Amino acid sequence: MEILRVESLSKTYGEGETRVVALRDVSFSISKGEFVLVVGPSGSGKTTLLNLIGALDTPTFGRVFIDGRDIFTMKEEELSVFRRRNIGFVFQAYNLVPELNVEENIVLPLLLDYKKPDRQYIDELLDLLGLSDRKHHLPNQLSGGQQQRVAIGRALASRPAIILADEPTGNLDSKNSREIVNLMKLSVEKYKQTLIMITHNPNFAALADRIFNVEDGIVTELGGKGK
Amino acid sequence: MRNYLALVPKYLAAHKKRTDLAIISVALSVALVTAIFSMLDVFLRFEKIQVIHDYGNYHLLIKDASAQEMQAIASRIDVEEAGRWIELGQASINGVRCAVGALDENLADNLNIKVIAGKYPAAKNEIMLEQWAVESHRLNVKINDTVRISSPGHVGREFKVSGIYNDLANMKAKAVPGVLMSLDGAAAIKPGAELSYIVLFKRGVKILNAEKEIKDTLKIADERIQRNERLLAVIGQSKHKAAVEIYTTGAILFLIVLIAGVMMIYNTFNISVMERVRQFGLLRCIGASRSQIRKLVEREGLAITLRAIPIGVIAGVIVTFILSAILKFYNSSLFASMPLFVISVSGIGAGIATGFLTVSIASFLPARKAAMVSPINAVTGSGDIKISRSKKRGLLTKVFRVEIAMGINNAVMKKKTLFLMSCSIAISIILFLGFQVFVDFMHAGMKTTKPYTPDISLTSEQGISEGLYKRLSDIDGVKKAYGRRFAYVEAAFDAARLTEAYKKQVGNIEVKDNGIFVPPENSWLISYDRNQLNWAKRDLIDGTLDEDKLNARNGIIAVMTNVRKGVTINTVNLQLGDKVYIKTPAGTRELTVMGRLRSVPFRDSKPNLSTFIITEKLFTELAGESPYQIIDIQLKKRNQEQTVKEIKGMLDSSITLHDARQKNAELDQAFLTMAVFVYGFVAVIALISILNIINTMNTSVASKTRYLGVMRAVGMSGAQMDKMVLAEAATYSLTGCLAGCVLGVMLQRALIADLLSSFRIVWRFPLAQIILIWILTLLVTALSVISPLKRIKAKGISEVIGSL
Ligand SMILES: Nc1ncnc2c1ncn2[C@@H]1O[C@H](COP(=O)(O)OP(=O)(O)OP(=O)(O)O)[C@@H](O)[C@H]1O
Ligand SMILES: [Mg+2]
Repeated sequence: MEILRVESLSKTYGEGETRVVALRDVSFSISKGEFVLVVGPSGSGKTTLLNLIGALDTPTFGRVFIDGRDIFTMKEEELSVFRRRNIGFVFQAYNLVPELNVEENIVLPLLLDYKKPDRQYIDELLDLLGLSDRKHHLPNQLSGGQQQRVAIGRALASRPAIILADEPTGNLDSKNSREIVNLMKLSVEKYKQTLIMITHNPNFAALADRIFNVEDGIVTELGGKGK
Repeated sequence: MRNYLALVPKYLAAHKKRTDLAIISVALSVALVTAIFSMLDVFLRFEKIQVIHDYGNYHLLIKDASAQEMQAIASRIDVEEAGRWIELGQASINGVRCAVGALDENLADNLNIKVIAGKYPAAKNEIMLEQWAVESHRLNVKINDTVRISSPGHVGREFKVSGIYNDLANMKAKAVPGVLMSLDGAAAIKPGAELSYIVLFKRGVKILNAEKEIKDTLKIADERIQRNERLLAVIGQSKHKAAVEIYTTGAILFLIVLIAGVMMIYNTFNISVMERVRQFGLLRCIGASRSQIRKLVEREGLAITLRAIPIGVIAGVIVTFILSAILKFYNSSLFASMPLFVISVSGIGAGIATGFLTVSIASFLPARKAAMVSPINAVTGSGDIKISRSKKRGLLTKVFRVEIAMGINNAVMKKKTLFLMSCSIAISIILFLGFQVFVDFMHAGMKTTKPYTPDISLTSEQGISEGLYKRLSDIDGVKKAYGRRFAYVEAAFDAARLTEAYKKQVGNIEVKDNGIFVPPENSWLISYDRNQLNWAKRDLIDGTLDEDKLNARNGIIAVMTNVRKGVTINTVNLQLGDKVYIKTPAGTRELTVMGRLRSVPFRDSKPNLSTFIITEKLFTELAGESPYQIIDIQLKKRNQEQTVKEIKGMLDSSITLHDARQKNAELDQAFLTMAVFVYGFVAVIALISILNIINTMNTSVASKTRYLGVMRAVGMSGAQMDKMVLAEAATYSLTGCLAGCVLGVMLQRALIADLLSSFRIVWRFPLAQIILIWILTLLVTALSVISPLKRIKAKGISEVIGSL
C-alpha cells in the first residue's frame, strides 16, 4: 500500500547569482512499512528533500501525497495537526527545546495533541534509548549522542506513520549507531511505520528496503535488500 | 574581512531585526529621559514667567524699612532693583470703596503694573486708577479729573487722576478699585504709614544667603522679612517646607525616570544575552582574546548608540516643543519672551548620558560572562537555564492546556528574564502612578473655574429685586443668571454633632435636657435654585440634591466645612436624617438633613456656626419674601463687552458689579501652564511605556524564532503557537502589572501622605487608574506579539529553524 508519493518535486533557493537548484523534478513513491535510506554527497539536496516531504518548506514546483492527501493544499491548522499525528522528525541538529527536560521533550508532540502519554510506552522508549536515568535532565546537560537519542524518542513518541530522520546517527559511535538504527527499525516494524533516513554510513545499506541516491538535486534509486 | 572588528557591522547587518529592536529600545529610553528632563527644564521657565505674572517679580519684601536700611540694601552689588511700597489700605474714592497704595515707579513693571494712558503719579496730589474702575458705572472719571479720596479717620483730600493702569484681576473681581499714588502723596495723607522695601536680586545670586547677610548686618528681625516664596520655589532657591517637599518628590520621581531608562535598555539587551554569550564563547574558542572581545562589544555598543541617541534626543525635543507650542498658542502675550523651540541642555545631556552608560553596561555583561565561563561552556550554553525542581511542573499542564502551560513555563523558567521583563513594565507603571501625584497636587493646590463659576456677580446690601433679576436673565448675551438669597438664622441640633474643634473655639455651650444645644452663633442659610443644586452634585458626600424631594420632605443640606477667620475647619458633624431646628418669625421649624456637601464655592466674612443650603421655596417659608443679595451671571461667549455695558446700564449705584472674567481667565491660565506639563509628563510616560512594552515583546518573540520553528516542526499549530507566546507575554505583563501597581500605589501613598503633607492632598486608592493600567497593559501585550508572530508564520518552517 502506497503511503507516500512525490510528484515532480523541484526546489530552487535564491535568485540571480545566489540561485541554487536543490532539487530537480523528483518523483517516486514509497509503500507502507518500507525502510528507505537516502544517501548522497554533502550539499546534494537530501535535507531539502526531507523538509519538503515533511512540509517544513514549500516546493517551487511539484506535489507530495501522504496517505493519498496532497499536503501542500492543506490549511495551516490542518497541516499542523496532520504533521504531529503522522510525521516524526529527527533533525540533523537535534533541535530539542532547551527549557524542557528529556521526558518532556519526548512527549511534547503528544501534549500538543492534547493526548495523555502512554506511560508504559514512554518508559519503554526511554529504556530502549538508554535515557531512563536522564529523563529529568535538560538538553544542555546531555552529550551530543544523548541529545540525538532524545530527538529520536520525540519522533517515535506519537507513533507517526512516517519517520523522517536526517542523519540521526551523525554524532554516535558505530556501536551506538547500530543500536539506534536497530531501534528505529524495530519500532517501524512493530507499528507498521515507514522510515526515511538520510545517512552517510554505508553500513546501513544492508538494513534498508530501498536506497535513494541524491546527486545535484537528482534522485535515483540504487536498489536495496528488497531488490 | 581585513580586521576582526569588521565582524561588528556584519553582525549588526546579519541580525537587522535584532539590531533595529535594540536601537528602538535605546532610542525610547533616551527619548524618555530627554523628554522628561527637558520638559522639567522648560516647565520651570514657563512657570517662572507665570509666577512673576501672578505674584510679582521680586524676591524679598522688608517691612517697616528705615531710610538707612534702604540705603544699605540699595547699594549692594547683588541687588538688581529695589523700591518702596506703602499699603494704605481701604479708603473711598468719590464714595466708592477702594484700596490705596503707593509704589516707586521703577518697581511698577516688576509688580505687573503698566500705565495705559496718562502718566505715573509723581506729584503729591496725583493718583492712577485701574482701567475698569475708570469705566465703572459707579465711578465715572477721566484723566485730569479731580477725585476725592478719604480714609477712615482722616479728612478727605482732592487728587488729580494723572494716569490709568492695567486691570488687576483680583481687584476687578472684588469690585474694589486699586488706587496708586506717589510716595510723597502717601506720606501726606497718612504720615508714618508702614513702608515696605521690595528687593529683586540679580540673576544667580544665592538669595537666602544674601537675605541672611542683610539680616545680620542690618539686624533685621525675621518677622520683618517676607519672601516671594513661589518665585524662589521655581528658581530652586526656596527652603520653604512646601517647596522642599515638591523638590524631594520631584527628585524621587526623576530618579525613577532615570532608573526606568536604564531598565528599558537593559531588559531588551538581556533577552539576547545568552545568544551573545554563545557568540563570544565561540570567538574565544577560535582564539579571540578577552581584550579583542571587549573591543568588539565596545564597537557594537557604539554603533547602536550612535544610531539610537539622535533619534531619542530628537523625539524628546519634539515632545517638549509641542508642549511649549501649546502654551504659547494659548497665551502668546504672557509667554512672548519664551522661544518656541527651547533646547534644554540638561535634558539632552541626561538623555545621552543614560543611553551611553546603559548600553555600555548592558552590552558588556554578556562579554564578561563569556569571559568568565570557560569558552566551551559558553558555546554549549550550560548554565543557561538553572535546573529547577521540574517534577512539579506537570501541575501547570493539569490546570492549563499544554500550550499555555508551556508559555507560562517559558517565562517562569528564566528567572532573570522574567525579573527584568516585569521590572521594565512595573517601573513604567510606578512612574505613571507616581507622576499622578502631580496631577493631584495640581488639582488640590490650584483653583480652576468650575461649571458654576460666574463671569459677573452683582451684590447689594439692600438686595436686588426680582424684577431686575428677570430683566437681567432676559438680556440676549446672558447665558444664565442665578440669584442667591441668604440669611443668618439660629439653627440648633443635637449637641453631639458639634465637633471638638468648634467647641474649643467658642467655649462653653449650653445644652438643654433633650440634648439640643442653644446656638452660640448664627448659621448661614443660603438658597439654591435647581441649577445650583445640580452644580453642587460634585461636592455631594451623600444624600440627595433633588429640589422636589427637598421641598416635599422639609429637607436641608448641611455643608461639612466652614471657613472661620480664613481657616477651613469642620464645625459640625451632622448625619443624614438628623433634625435641625431653625428659628423663624413664625416659630421654630423642624427640618431634616437630606444631603451633605463637602464645601460651597463661596465664603462668608462673618464667623458662622455652620452653613446650610435650602431650596428657594423653603427659604421663603423660613425667612419670608426677601430680595436677592447676590446675582451670579454667566455670559455667552460672543459680544461680552456689549452685554456688560447693557448690564451696567440697568444698575443703580447701590449695586456693585464684580467682574471676575479676568480673574477666572488668569486662574485657568495658571492652571493650564501647569496642567500642560503635568499631563505632558504623564502622557509621555504612558506613551513611551507602551512603545517599550511593544518593543520588548517584539524582541522577546524575535529571539524565540528558532524555538518556535522547532515547535511547529514537532506539530504545534499556528493557533497553539499564538496561545503559547501570548501566555508567555501575559505572564511578563501580569507580574509586571502586579508589581507595578503594588509598588506604584505604595509610592503614591508615601508621596502624598508623608512627603507632600503640607498640601493636605487627600489620597484615594487610584482604582480607575489601576483598571486603566491593567486594560492597557494586557491590550498592548496582546497587540505587540501579533506582528512578530505573523512574521514568523509567514516564513517556511525549515527557514526559521535554520536561522540561528
Ligand atoms: N535556505 C537556503 N538558501 C539557499 N540555498 C540553500 C538553502 N538551503 C539549502 N541550500 C542549498 O541547497 C543545496 C542542498 O542543500 P541540502 O541542505 O539539502 O544538502 P544536504 O544534501 O542535506 O547536505 P548535507 O549532507 O551536507 O546535510 C545546497 O547547495 C545548499 O547550499
Ligand atoms: Mg543535510
